[in-house]
Amino acid sequence: MHHANHYYGHSHVLARYCGLDDADPPRIQGYLQHGWNIGDGMAPDHEYVPGVAKFVWSERVRRRAWSLGRREVYVTGAPWAYLVAMTPDPGARREGTIWYPFHGWEGQHIVGDHDSLIAEIRDTETGPVTVCLYWQEFRDKRVRALYERAGFRVISHGYRGGWWKDLDPGFLYRQLAEQRRHSRVASNRLSSAIMYGTLAGCEPAVYGDPMQLEGEKSAFGGQARIVREWPEMHGKQLDLSHARALATAELGADRLLPPAELRRLFQWPSLREDPDFELTGVLTR
Amino acid sequence: MITLIGGEMLAWSDLDGSHGPAPASGDALRSIISQAFGRTLVVGPHAQSLIPASPDVTVLVRGNADVDAYPGVTVLCGSLEKLAASPAYDTIVALDGLGRLHSAEAAPYSWDETLAQLLALLAPDGRLLLGFENLFGVHRLTALPAAPADADWVVADDHDPARPAGHARWLSRLTDAGLTVTADYAAYPSLTSPTVLLARAARTEPAIAGALEAAVAAAVRPDSDSLTDPARLATAAVRHGLTAELAPAWFAVATREAAATREAAAQGARATHDAAATEEAGAIHEAAGATREAAGATREAAVRGAEAPEAVIGSQVVRIADLPRGRTLQDHLLTAAQRRDLPEMRDLLTAWQSGAAAGVPAAHVIVSAPVGDQPRPAELIPHAPGGDALVGDQPGPAELIPRAPGGDALVALRAFATEAITAGYAHLWPIQADEAELTAVLAGMTGRELEPSEVPPAPPRPAHAVGDLLADRDRLTRELSEAKAKHEWYESMLRGREAELKRVRQMNALLSATVPGKAATSLVGGLRAGKRAVRKMVRRGR
Repeated sequence: MHHANHYYGHSHVLARYCGLDDADPPRIQGYLQHGWNIGDGMAPDHEYVPGVAKFVWSERVRRRAWSLGRREVYVTGAPWAYLVAMTPDPGARREGTIWYPFHGWEGQHIVGDHDSLIAEIRDTETGPVTVCLYWQEFRDKRVRALYERAGFRVISHGYRGGWWKDLDPGFLYRQLAEQRRHSRVASNRLSSAIMYGTLAGCEPAVYGDPMQLEGEKSAFGGQARIVREWPEMHGKQLDLSHARALATAELGADRLLPPAELRRLFQWPSLREDPDFELTGVLTR
Repeated sequence: MITLIGGEMLAWSDLDGSHGPAPASGDALRSIISQAFGRTLVVGPHAQSLIPASPDVTVLVRGNADVDAYPGVTVLCGSLEKLAASPAYDTIVALDGLGRLHSAEAAPYSWDETLAQLLALLAPDGRLLLGFENLFGVHRLTALPAAPADADWVVADDHDPARPAGHARWLSRLTDAGLTVTADYAAYPSLTSPTVLLARAARTEPAIAGALEAAVAAAVRPDSDSLTDPARLATAAVRHGLTAELAPAWFAVATREAAATREAAAQGARATHDAAATEEAGAIHEAAGATREAAGATREAAVRGAEAPEAVIGSQVVRIADLPRGRTLQDHLLTAAQRRDLPEMRDLLTAWQSGAAAGVPAAHVIVSAPVGDQPRPAELIPHAPGGDALVGDQPGPAELIPRAPGGDALVALRAFATEAITAGYAHLWPIQADEAELTAVLAGMTGRELEPSEVPPAPPRPAHAVGDLLADRDRLTRELSEAKAKHEWYESMLRGREAELKRVRQMNALLSATVPGKAATSLVGGLRAGKRAVRKMVRRGR
């Protein structure tokens, strides 16, 4: 229904979980939440058609969305949770920290002091540090050089795609592989990446200057509300069991749908309509 | 032997059901009739099969067409007020109530006056088996306005203070009249042909609420158009502890007391009656009733060894101890739905649809509750004959116990989908509230692959509920406006795509006009010509 359903290869992951062709996922008849957020789960800049389903990650978001007047909201869980469930942890040795500096999206720019953030990371992290930048900062040689000069490995998981162009079905796979190589995940804001990393088995940490987006509007209470709502998720060392329980709930990892249910809700074809039914099933990579 | 006592109605039958409701009938009433003893008078329309098999039975009918319906029994034909008072009867059976005892020739008598006429015919220590229609029962609360029947020359009306309104007041009135109620029953689905009778002990036992809900849901089948589904209202009444208050009818087994005990009971009843409006009074009345009941029962046992049943379900006498403990599966499912606990719903649906009870409608499956613990759906095990029984008061896994015969599992699943939609839970699923579509989603929740086209068609509905029709209309209106909005969105997307296609084609044309473009075009053209030539040669070579 919406091009944002294909961001980060979300629809591709779910198509694979449903046993369908994940190279060309069918259209989801609804809007899929594409990032952890503290509002109704839906991006504020999109247009929504009444009566069209909204698929959100967690029961908490569903309750909030309902209170904000959204209807046809259904908890499916995050595509990330499905990916983690489908991808056994190879059990490779984990080392160091994967650090996600808060980023803007297309057309947004960060106002903040990268140098002092770098200093704080160096003071805190004892192991090797991998800094993961969003693609627009990764392409900015100046920003990239800042982190590289600090001795950090600098990577990007890729481009999330948009308007059915430049889609990157491998985004989440790369992110999961990277996170499973690290023992800690950290950021200067509580975000999707922290939730993802926690579910992927990393110890989370949230510290450092949270920075600001240029002209950032505090939708749904903004960063201040995040700190108020989840104070226990802010700090250099967090209660791991609490963090895991929170990430599980926020990503809906404890309530994944059976493939048959997901296919019906998305109005995706049944496996029996697929000529290669015998050959399909959950693909392993 | 047939005797005309006066007031008989010509060309009239209460037994054929053409002038009013059918006569009292059905196996359930036999359990009450069995309380009759000694010289017995049956008043009002009763099916022939209900007449006690005693040699000393007299039947009073008011229509001359009914006099031949009781072979081998003394039949009196006429109006009750004409009946001579002596000798008195040991038992009077009036299970059809007091509404059809006088003929059109008689002046209208109130309920109180009619009861007094009956009691004048009853021996001291005699027994009255009485039925009473509750004018605030589920059958009336859900009924559409009906045209009066021939028998309704005077209509029983809940505005009439001489007719007791409410269960507690009805019992008080009997007590005031010098009777001891030894057993009273809430009856479903109707006064004249009940299939479920529940004594006080059954109504007040919360552990068997599920079995009672299933029993009442099976009894109350909507067979004509109504305001709302009477089965849904009846099960809600059971759930809210109003099993007796909203029952379509009540029955009582009452004995006339000796004078001394009567005075004491009357005093207690008056005290209770004064405070009947309060809940506390209700409790006091229940306690007083229980005491009287116990005293009466002892005396009854001396007179006659019959024991009044605790409950009749599906016209079969059952003991409370034999009923499964727990709530219905439908109750559990809708609770989970209300809490939006979809994981629990998936567990419940999966346990149901993968077990032996799969073909039994969810309203007729009991999730057995281990004593002292709530059932844990994750540990649900399908019920199987000879399966593990619950041991002592140790919490154990819950079982699914069917209370109705099984059929097709998908029909049962569809029935639950229908209930979820009509009971107002369709908004849980972000799909059009279509029964087949929801059935397919519910099957999906159990992991089963099902297309809406594979869902069995809905059984023909004998009746519609006005409330459901209005809800359907509102839902369809909303779905239409949403479909229009979606159509507009697709239209705007299509315009956008068309514009983009146009732009790409223009760009294509421009690029084709450039030198590299022309070169590419001639290269492609050359390749095509080559392909054609090769094909030609191959064909020739064949």
